[in-house]
Amino acid sequence: MDIDPDVQMEDAVANNASLQLQESQFADDYEGEMSELPPSSPTPTASTGEVDGWIETLKKCQPLTEREVRQLCNMAKDILQFEQNVQPVSAPVTICGDVHGQFHDLMELFRIGGPCPDTNYLFMGDYVDRGYYSVESVSFLVAMKVRYPRRITILRGNHESRQITQVYGFYDECLRKYGSPNVWKLFTDLFDYFPITALVDNKVFCLHGGLSPTIETIDNIRSLNRFQEVPHDGPMSDLLWSDPDERQNWGISPRGAGYTFGQDISEQFNHNNNLSLISRAHQLVMEGYAWSHEQQVVTIFSAPNYCYRCGNQAAIMEVDEELYNTFLQYDPCPRASEPSVSRKTPDYFL
Amino acid sequence: MSEEVYPLAVLIDELRDDDVTVRVNAMGRISTIALAMGEARTRNELIPFLEEAAQEDEDELLVVLADELAKFVPLVGGPEHAHALIDVLSSLAGCEEPTVRQAAVASLNDIAREMSADQVNEHYVPLLRRISTADWFSSRMSAAGIYASVVAKLGPNDDLLGLYKDLVTDDAPMVRRAAATALPNVIEALGKVQLTGTIQEMFESLVYDDQDSVRLLSVDVVVALSEALRENGKPSSDELVAQTLALLSDKSWRVRYMAADRLEQLAKALNSDEKLPRLVGQFVTLCKDGESEVRSAVAKHVVGFAQNLDPAVVLDEIVPAIEPLVTDPSEHVRESLAGQISYLSVLLGNEKTIKHLLPLFLQMLKDEHSEVRLQIISNLQVINEVIGIDLLSQSLLPAITELAKDKQWRVLLAIINYSPLLAEQLGVEFFNKELVPLVMQWLWDPVWAIRDAAAQNLVKLTDVFGVEWLETIILPKLVVHDPTANYLYRFTSLMVVKTLVPTVSSSALQDPVLPFLLSFSEDSVPNIRFNVAKALLQVAQALVAKNTPNAQSVISESILPVLEKHAEDVDVDVRFYVAEALTQINELVAGGQEMQA
Repeated sequence: MDIDPDVQMEDAVANNASLQLQESQFADDYEGEMSELPPSSPTPTASTGEVDGWIETLKKCQPLTEREVRQLCNMAKDILQFEQNVQPVSAPVTICGDVHGQFHDLMELFRIGGPCPDTNYLFMGDYVDRGYYSVESVSFLVAMKVRYPRRITILRGNHESRQITQVYGFYDECLRKYGSPNVWKLFTDLFDYFPITALVDNKVFCLHGGLSPTIETIDNIRSLNRFQEVPHDGPMSDLLWSDPDERQNWGISPRGAGYTFGQDISEQFNHNNNLSLISRAHQLVMEGYAWSHEQQVVTIFSAPNYCYRCGNQAAIMEVDEELYNTFLQYDPCPRASEPSVSRKTPDYFL
Repeated sequence: MSEEVYPLAVLIDELRDDDVTVRVNAMGRISTIALAMGEARTRNELIPFLEEAAQEDEDELLVVLADELAKFVPLVGGPEHAHALIDVLSSLAGCEEPTVRQAAVASLNDIAREMSADQVNEHYVPLLRRISTADWFSSRMSAAGIYASVVAKLGPNDDLLGLYKDLVTDDAPMVRRAAATALPNVIEALGKVQLTGTIQEMFESLVYDDQDSVRLLSVDVVVALSEALRENGKPSSDELVAQTLALLSDKSWRVRYMAADRLEQLAKALNSDEKLPRLVGQFVTLCKDGESEVRSAVAKHVVGFAQNLDPAVVLDEIVPAIEPLVTDPSEHVRESLAGQISYLSVLLGNEKTIKHLLPLFLQMLKDEHSEVRLQIISNLQVINEVIGIDLLSQSLLPAITELAKDKQWRVLLAIINYSPLLAEQLGVEFFNKELVPLVMQWLWDPVWAIRDAAAQNLVKLTDVFGVEWLETIILPKLVVHDPTANYLYRFTSLMVVKTLVPTVSSSALQDPVLPFLLSFSEDSVPNIRFNVAKALLQVAQALVAKNTPNAQSVISESILPVLEKHAEDVDVDVRFYVAEALTQINELVAGGQEMQA
């Protein structure tokens, strides 16, 4: 099996001293290899009050300044680098799918599910691209992560990548809103630190895409090196790209990355790992959520009227202490500042 | 280089920079440079220089230049020298880029307003003559925008109107559109107009233009013309009515839409006994229009239109005409109507509303499109004032209870926000019987925003019914702690009681509220524990604010020990909120002791 054993995240948390060493070593290598940013002046860590101020600004859908984003990303790195590839999360928690820069709908999500930190959240990736407010959406979620690291978990989606964001809008939006790609660089560098999966009370396995033929147990994921751009293939790419399918066994994904996996695969994986459910996002579902594989897998999608034209509902999944699931569906938030179309888009347009 | 030329040299330097943002910023500061240079040198050196710059730069820069020049009148030495600015602006007004032209036209208008009539005659009339007959259409479009302010200074002038008429009948539709857009302003500037001569010719040419994009602009001309005529004491002529009707029944739906969208102004303008009935007929036809956009526009203006009419006409003609719109296939039409129909009740009065409109309200309350229901609900108060609460509660209460189960949470929110008003009207007994179950049910809604609004609503209802009502009817239902209940139930009951802390009396605060809150302090979920900390802080604040005699002892015996115990909680957020509560309570207690001392 093709597994990169660079960093053992499991050991990292158990042993604090060795962790520090390992992490800083890693960070150094990493900077040298990936970063072309102008040498950043040392950015002091912001106080809790400052972060609260940023959150208030962002709630009004106003972007932070480049300097604030730099501070924010540095603080987020300090938190995210200690999270695991399979980040443990405890119930109760509300699990959410794709957001895709639909900031007003993200605010609607919090109106439906309740404000953070009162409600715990787990987001399964794809915060940026397609919508008009990728910058505000991802800044908000990262700021919440920095302010309440134990109350919100943000996983990486296939759009949290340098390559994809250059095609689907985040890069252009950063350029438009900041006049330079610096903020895009800061965020895409930060994306490398996002955990790729989460495990709610050891029973509900959450990730953006789906399973990988190279991964049999959750421990396999723990031994991956996730601190890199999403690769074209291999286990990390599969976790962020795969889709469940009605056909049995593994199949070739029409997306050009990841695989399709059948019910037999899901059953096997859940059984091997003593899981009750695989919760994932990544696909548009008209009702906002959809079961597949006889309730072995659930898809959650939290961008209502995706791309402002798909006419889909959005949903979030509340998981209580007994791991009992409740789905909440919602529609786009009414707003004035985005294009509204009086005539319905004909079906053939979709 | 002498010191005097320095500012201009810097400007020249910056305006030649390669980076366009530097040039734009420099252009934004030219008024400062002009101030430094003095009036004479601004006229003789800066303006010619800017004229040159205007020939060849980015549109972005030229917009800034055109905007800035409007502020230049005092900088070139007051209105008597303002004509120095006209050449630059007129060349900007000939640009191809619309934003530059618009900025230049706006500045030219500003400057004309500051000049005397003689100066306008001397400098603007030749300018208009020149650009109105320019070869390139962009200058002619700009020309149309300047007439109004010139006419305002010079008064009616056949020569100018003749020039304007050429623009109205120009070969290029763009120019005709610009002329049609500006014509209402020209008519307003003229003041005394008659529907004869050039004005009539221009008007007719627009109404019967072969481009619908021009005809639709003539709707505003009709409004302006008929208003001007009415102000002059001349009733609008049959011709004007005929032309209005022609626009309302135009073969292009865009024109009909525009006309329908101005129905209110048209009705006001043509307000005379003989003429309105002819519009009513057209209104009825528009309600049956094939285009939903047109019907939607009509529905949006039904009240504005109807308020000019005799109530009998509203009842006999308008209400039957809008009835089919209640079940229109397009939800946008129904939505527009739903926002308006409540206000018709004010025109019709009590009895007729009950007989003719109430069935329509009830129908729309059941509309499948939630926005329609929401519109009706948010205007319930209007209907309430007309037909009285008794009837409203009889006929609408079933509908309201039905809507209280609506799937669209914003509909539910509107109902919740309406409930204090209902409470006031219904009285406590009826409310307790009919609505308290609903009020309680909302507290447990799956949507957080509804739960939150429902909790806030209890506070508002207490304003209506008093604290005793809250403490005898509502509170006992809430302070039941069931540790086996699921997380959301425990969390919600905690949050509701926490919302009520500032409202309840200080004796209820000590029992049952405080023991109830404390019963959650060892909950397994950190979110509940840190909200207990927040709630305990509020209790302490409320006890002190309500001057409770034993506040200090309650705080030190019941509240502080629990908080102190959780200062070392396993969860970081619990520790944060506990620490915050402890700090604030200690300040509170210290403040209280100082007061006593």
